[in-house]
Amino acid sequence: MLNYIGYRVLQLIPLMIAISIIVFFIIQLPPGDFLSTYIQQLELSGTKVDAGTILSLQRQYGLDQPFIVQYLVWMKNILVEGDLGRSFQWNQPVSEVLGGRLMLTMVISVVSLIFVWIIAIPIGIYSAVRQYSILDYVFTFIGFIGLAVPGFLLALVVLYVVFVNTGVSLSGLFSPEYVDAPWSMAKVMDMLPRLVLPVVIIGMSGTAGLIRVMRGMLLDELSKQYVITARAKGVESTKLLFKYPVRMAINPLISTIGWTLPALISGEAIVSIVMNLPTTGPVLLRALMFQDMYLAGSFLLIVSVLTVIGTLISDILLAWLDPRIRFGGVAD
Amino acid sequence: MRKKKMIPIALLLAVLLILTAVLSGCEGGGGGTDIGAANNASKGNNNAGGTGKTDTKAEDTKQGNDTNATKTDGDAAPAEGTLTEFKQSPMLGSVSVPVKDRLPEDYKITNEMPEDLLKYEIGTYGGTLRTVTSVVDWDADVFIMNDEALLNTPGLLGKEVTGNVLKSYEMSDDEKTFTFRMRKGLKWSDGQPVTTEDVRFAVEDVLFNKELTPIFPAWLNAAGDPNGKPFTFELIDEYTFKMSFDQPYGGFLLSLAVQGWRGYTDLLKPAHYLEKFHKKYTDVASLEPEIKKAGFKKGEWVNLFNDKDITNWELTNPKSIGFPVLYPWMMTKKTNTAATFERNPYYFKVDPAGNQLPYIDKIQSTLVQDIEMVTLKTIAGEVDFSRESASLIKMPLYRENEDKGFKALLSNLHVSPTDIYLNMSYNDKNWAQVVNDVRFRKALSLALDRNEMIDSIYYGFAEPNSWQDSTYNIDDANKLLDEMGMTKGSDGFRTGPDGKKFTIPIEIGAQAPDIVPMTELVVEMWKQLGLDVTMKKIDGALWGKRREANELKATVMWAADPMWYYGDWGQGIWGTAWDLYNSSGGKKGIKPPDDVAAFFKSLAKASVSNPQDAKAVVDNEIKKAIGDKYYFIVPLQNVKQPLIVNAKLHNVGNENALAVATDYAGEQLFFAP
Repeated sequence: MLNYIGYRVLQLIPLMIAISIIVFFIIQLPPGDFLSTYIQQLELSGTKVDAGTILSLQRQYGLDQPFIVQYLVWMKNILVEGDLGRSFQWNQPVSEVLGGRLMLTMVISVVSLIFVWIIAIPIGIYSAVRQYSILDYVFTFIGFIGLAVPGFLLALVVLYVVFVNTGVSLSGLFSPEYVDAPWSMAKVMDMLPRLVLPVVIIGMSGTAGLIRVMRGMLLDELSKQYVITARAKGVESTKLLFKYPVRMAINPLISTIGWTLPALISGEAIVSIVMNLPTTGPVLLRALMFQDMYLAGSFLLIVSVLTVIGTLISDILLAWLDPRIRFGGVAD
Repeated sequence: MRKKKMIPIALLLAVLLILTAVLSGCEGGGGGTDIGAANNASKGNNNAGGTGKTDTKAEDTKQGNDTNATKTDGDAAPAEGTLTEFKQSPMLGSVSVPVKDRLPEDYKITNEMPEDLLKYEIGTYGGTLRTVTSVVDWDADVFIMNDEALLNTPGLLGKEVTGNVLKSYEMSDDEKTFTFRMRKGLKWSDGQPVTTEDVRFAVEDVLFNKELTPIFPAWLNAAGDPNGKPFTFELIDEYTFKMSFDQPYGGFLLSLAVQGWRGYTDLLKPAHYLEKFHKKYTDVASLEPEIKKAGFKKGEWVNLFNDKDITNWELTNPKSIGFPVLYPWMMTKKTNTAATFERNPYYFKVDPAGNQLPYIDKIQSTLVQDIEMVTLKTIAGEVDFSRESASLIKMPLYRENEDKGFKALLSNLHVSPTDIYLNMSYNDKNWAQVVNDVRFRKALSLALDRNEMIDSIYYGFAEPNSWQDSTYNIDDANKLLDEMGMTKGSDGFRTGPDGKKFTIPIEIGAQAPDIVPMTELVVEMWKQLGLDVTMKKIDGALWGKRREANELKATVMWAADPMWYYGDWGQGIWGTAWDLYNSSGGKKGIKPPDDVAAFFKSLAKASVSNPQDAKAVVDNEIKKAIGDKYYFIVPLQNVKQPLIVNAKLHNVGNENALAVATDYAGEQLFFAP
């Protein structure tokens, strides 16, 4: 097992280098750079920016350097000093821009994930065990709606309904007086009720999907020989259910951790934009639009690293959870 | 048994939690910085007082009279120099220097808008003005409210030019030499005096320093010509300086006033602050720690200086905290979601009753994720002032929600909303032949139903353009196209000289909310002529790049034409390559045809003439040429712009004022109790 993990980690190094080059290259692909976007924005407001100013800004931001030099400087700073570079747009180190938002994003994502699991797993089990019962149909119906309606639309509808009925614009995670306040118990208490809506909206489609997966997997398991045998031998039904089929059916949860980790920090970008949540999703979108390359690059790099680590973790967990899985070519 | 099964899940959660903790560890504090106001307030003011003061005062009165005699004096305000008592905001109660000593002797009496645009009321102090922006580090509403130019043009229409940061100016009869007088006792927001030393620093040590200014700004060359000679600078005394050009440049005055929202920062910099980062005054070796801290390479003092020198368009940038300014409000705090601007205790304007401006103590600018969120916050009554993100298309929505404590006013718009451009210098023989035929452009103009545009897009709040033929006549338009030999093919589409279907691909950047619906209408109207017209919406940055590279064939965009005369008449869009030839002095681009060259000459003439002459050139030459030749099509004029203001906000310009002029005169806004 340790061999396997070590081997996998070694494999990751060239992979990460390749990813970082691709990420940086793709961000630079569109015409222009951050400065041209920024200057155009100024010009649209009627502000004139001189050619000389543009030149000195380019020098100041290092944008006059060739692509490969910019990439190497960025990589060197990450590896040597742990410095992700500076966001042009925010005029702050990338770590500062992402820092506070990463935490909030994770709070929302972790809570959403727990919400999804708490709702979806029991319903999935119930639907499978009581297949074709009325409640199964009801859950299935709601599930399909949840799967079909995009989160941002749901968010828009909720915002609209709340605004029309109460005149309150439900936006952001904090009341105005807490937006810029330092963290305190009062601020957390202020956030909690405002967290419910985004969590439910973001969790909605996940819940629906997971119910279907749970139900399908469990149904597969329930019809298998070992279940029938156990049942014939008179094993108590709840005990039987939880001891084997559920354990098997939970597999997909574990094997998708590889994607869950990056999703945790990238958040639901569109829902966040609609609901004005101070998470990382909108920052990434805007960084890409503005070609704020160190911010966008670092963010994508973090997401890639997490995907890779997540995949590693799910492989390890799966191997541990399901003895039928074997590591190809490497001795245990 | 059951417990055991839960272990993997519990472990999983634990891993997630650990990761959460690790990642949140890279958070760098996140909180905002709060220097600025407090510092400024407590910093001692060591400017000269006592004896010298009376002498200079007497001398100044004399100068003032001289200036009046030459009829080019700055301020026309009634009571300048006569006030003896001054009042200040209660917020400044703890500032030790009395308000009289913080104000310059030559204080400015607010005179931002002419009486026919605003009936000025004496205001009351206090309050926080809330604005919302969807762009990081940029709040156009706050930027325009704060920006101070060296000279002013009341009402922003360029009709006359008065003093602002500078007290007054004098232009020689040949329009080559300009003498400027500064306000005696004017102070930076940190209490340091503003003198011609600050001008000298900005000119000699920054503008004429090849390292700091590798490309000299064209507008500071004679006649604003990139190939012209830079101005010569002459320091006369502590409060007077002279700038001379080797060619007449009357338009220079408007360049120093609001034009291009230029502000004072090009010619006036806080020398006492910036000298600390300038090679000439500070040893580069001693700057190294600062250079390293700012993330630049060893010896890059130029980058450090540029980083520390905050130009006017960076005033909504967090870097500007602590930088000495002359604005009514200065940034004091910035977080990732909001910026706070607090009043500058040394601001140089007062109202006629001697109250130091601004009336409003603070501005709170909130950053939202999306421009639609600005609308939502607006209709929820969470915004006190919004111009930049307000759009006529949302007017019904604003009006419906006016009971939330705001008013949606209709003011004038400072740009023409949507002009239609065909790129006559596009590099395609077939296209150029058709588009350069004035009959073609006239036919397209004839096919536009202005009234339908006004009704369906602007709810009636616009007029057909008065200096271009606004007739709607499809038959005449068809006749012109037939005359050109653009016959209809078997598919019903007209063909170009190459015998193939002639296509007009309109590419738009959707920079304003009316551009898409307007273009859709244009497409439908032109299709009726048998032309193959398409619309494609592209990203704004891509639009800019394609325009620069002369790759746009046709587009829809606004132009700043109704407002100033600085020579931007869309020629960068309808004649991109010709404009480049013109502005590069023939080094780049393509030589324009004679009529366009003559048109460019008129533009140059307008931009270097003083406001009165410029207006004549614009009316008699520029507008006439566009009217005759249809270089681009200006379908509408006098479009209204919504201005969202808190219902309690006073000193807001009336409906004849430009919305942006009310914004520009933000220091005189106040909340009625």
